[in-house]
Amino acid sequence: MTTEHATTPRTRYPRAQCEVSVALCTLNGSRWIEQLLQSIAAQELLPDEIVIQDDCSEDDTVELIEKFAGLAPFAVRVEVNERRLGSTANFATALARCHGRFIALADQDDVWYPNKLRRLIDELTLDPTVTMVFSDADLIGPDGEDLGQRLWDARLIGRTLRKRAVVPEELFARRALTTGCTMAVRRRAVAASLPFPEALENQAAPMRHDRWLSLVAAAVGTVRALPDSLLGFRVHPDQETGVLVGAQLPQALGRAAAAVFTAPVGQSNATHLARANQLEAAAGRAHEMGDFEEAVTLEAIAAHHRSRVQSAGSVLDRLRGIAEGVRVGAYGWDRLGLVAVAGDTVRSVRPGRGGQCETVLHSEPAPENQIEGS
Amino acid sequence: MLRKMKVMMVTDSLQVGGAEQVAVDIANSLDRDTHQVYFCATRTDGLLRSSLKSDVEIMVLERSATWDLLKLLAFGKYVRSEGIDVLHSHGRGTMRFIALCKALGIIQAQHVFHDHFGRLHLDRSAGRGLKVPLHHGVDAYIGVESRLCRWAIDTVGLPEAKVSLVRSGVDLERFSTAPAINLREEFDLGEGNLVLLMVANFRPQKDHPTLFRAIAELTPAQQESLRLVVCGSTTADPAYFEGCMAMLERLKIDHLVRTIGVRNDAPSLMAGADAGVFSSKNESGPLVILEYMASRLPFVATETGEIAHAVKDEGVGILTEPRDYLALADGLAALLDMTAEQRAAMGERGRQLVIEEFEQHVVVRQVEAIYDQLLGLSSQSSGAKESNLAIG
Repeated sequence: MTTEHATTPRTRYPRAQCEVSVALCTLNGSRWIEQLLQSIAAQELLPDEIVIQDDCSEDDTVELIEKFAGLAPFAVRVEVNERRLGSTANFATALARCHGRFIALADQDDVWYPNKLRRLIDELTLDPTVTMVFSDADLIGPDGEDLGQRLWDARLIGRTLRKRAVVPEELFARRALTTGCTMAVRRRAVAASLPFPEALENQAAPMRHDRWLSLVAAAVGTVRALPDSLLGFRVHPDQETGVLVGAQLPQALGRAAAAVFTAPVGQSNATHLARANQLEAAAGRAHEMGDFEEAVTLEAIAAHHRSRVQSAGSVLDRLRGIAEGVRVGAYGWDRLGLVAVAGDTVRSVRPGRGGQCETVLHSEPAPENQIEGS
Repeated sequence: MLRKMKVMMVTDSLQVGGAEQVAVDIANSLDRDTHQVYFCATRTDGLLRSSLKSDVEIMVLERSATWDLLKLLAFGKYVRSEGIDVLHSHGRGTMRFIALCKALGIIQAQHVFHDHFGRLHLDRSAGRGLKVPLHHGVDAYIGVESRLCRWAIDTVGLPEAKVSLVRSGVDLERFSTAPAINLREEFDLGEGNLVLLMVANFRPQKDHPTLFRAIAELTPAQQESLRLVVCGSTTADPAYFEGCMAMLERLKIDHLVRTIGVRNDAPSLMAGADAGVFSSKNESGPLVILEYMASRLPFVATETGEIAHAVKDEGVGILTEPRDYLALADGLAALLDMTAEQRAAMGERGRQLVIEEFEQHVVVRQVEAIYDQLLGLSSQSSGAKESNLAIG
């Protein structure tokens, strides 16, 4: 979203003034913020600055940060929003304030391992065409206990990422694969991603800051996935970016499957339209940077989303459309593609398809977002 | 009298390109007292034919696929009938073609594969389609950069003894004798400005958009004091070319840029330019930087590839991070700020460095040593040994 804090035109995004920035957004994080800040201060490679954007915390988060700032071995630049922006807009604001050539993102409740920053920045330094690198993480409980599971596996993306050193833009277009706190981004990609487009905040299918950044970074360069675990990712009931652990995952899968049979078709239509708009925005950024091939890829996926909006035509026409999508490979050739074909097919033939084209204005951002298919 | 060694350079085509130019330069500079030289373009003919010396036997196979059986047999027959000793392939498709010939028993000649792969940043893997021919159909591997050699040893699993690093060189003669073209007059560039030349086919890897954005970042006065001539194929990727042209208009700098298509007189164009520029995303060479240096051109280029890394501290040009248009704009501004004398001195240092380290004869002696070693003419060739030791 374009906020008053993040309106810097892309071509005028200021030049880097230091090597490494950490962008951190906070909101009522007093329980864990000190642990995070201490783990950043203990990095083998220290950042030059931490840019903190507080989204109107009501606890003593800001006081704890200011206390840390007095002792920190690097600059701590904290700013409190005048009104609450929400995490995606808040990150846009924080990113716009960063001075670094490389920018690592942080969440307030995690614990970084000492080698995290060094590993990510080494990877970016090694190859200047790499615009973003992200890692895996260990899941930890509210008290820091090891839950014995990796983030990628909990999000059902481990198999996809471990077999690919380079993650292409079409994968990010089809699925959310990254979590902000595992990422470091080259300034050029951040510049291309700002300002965040309004389309990200579409309530039918919001796109978070980390997915948007990944999508743009892959479209204007190369994104690498590091299978190493470089931080403890805390799982707790209050977090915004949740992961599903234990019995939650099969339950969520069940709910997602049931929704294919029961949710109004209009909801699916609104989701497809929202995705199409977001992908077209990313294609626009790629085009602007001269990455024409990548822009075409994203535009094609966006067009496929538009084609999946269910019309009032006959069942046969709808099935023909799906078959054509499969024939040209528009669904992708992986498990997620098959799931999407199955979902579209069921939605096309199931009875009671009432309200098929209505716009859904209000829908809860579901935790099933993390298992979203193409 | 000893029989001369018969060597055939094999490329996909004779069209203008970095790998093809390297093959032509090696073909032209192999020692004629000890070598008889052939050149085979397995797919298409091209402008580089005219650059080959007249004593080089040329064949164009016009194969349509790796498995083009008729062409495969015709190639094998020719190689056998001529008694070719060494086949020196450039490019991975060509390497597979020769490896297939060897696997089918059509040819027995030694096979040297010269790897110019420039997309190692995207694909460090080595699937069966590469490993099998490299292990069973290649007798010696030459990488033009140390990353490639490391990849061949660590990822492909080739024995170190088979792998050599041979940096690209440049045939100075081509640049010493080329008559200068008056670019201002030929392309109506006006007077009193600095004429920059970029030699690169319009392909996404060459990243013209970053250069265009860099020019757009300059102040209006700086923009008016330069003109850019882009020489390179506009048909290699038509969609990319159209995107670039649209971008020039969008950035309102189209009046500063002339695209002149592919040419076979690059040395003459360079001789007529004031400076070189090159904005590629990723390269293994790139040869064009050596060509700028051989032409006494100061240059601004992205730091990618073995040659760019090797010359970055030599004061022969300004090198910036690939894809960073702001850094490239700074580089262009620095070049514009230099006096004519300073630019000339930079160009002269480049020329001197080529003579000392990148002259084609230095490079070709290494290649000849690899041939000798393969054919058992020397037990341990010094040139090949040195190049092996140089792998980072």
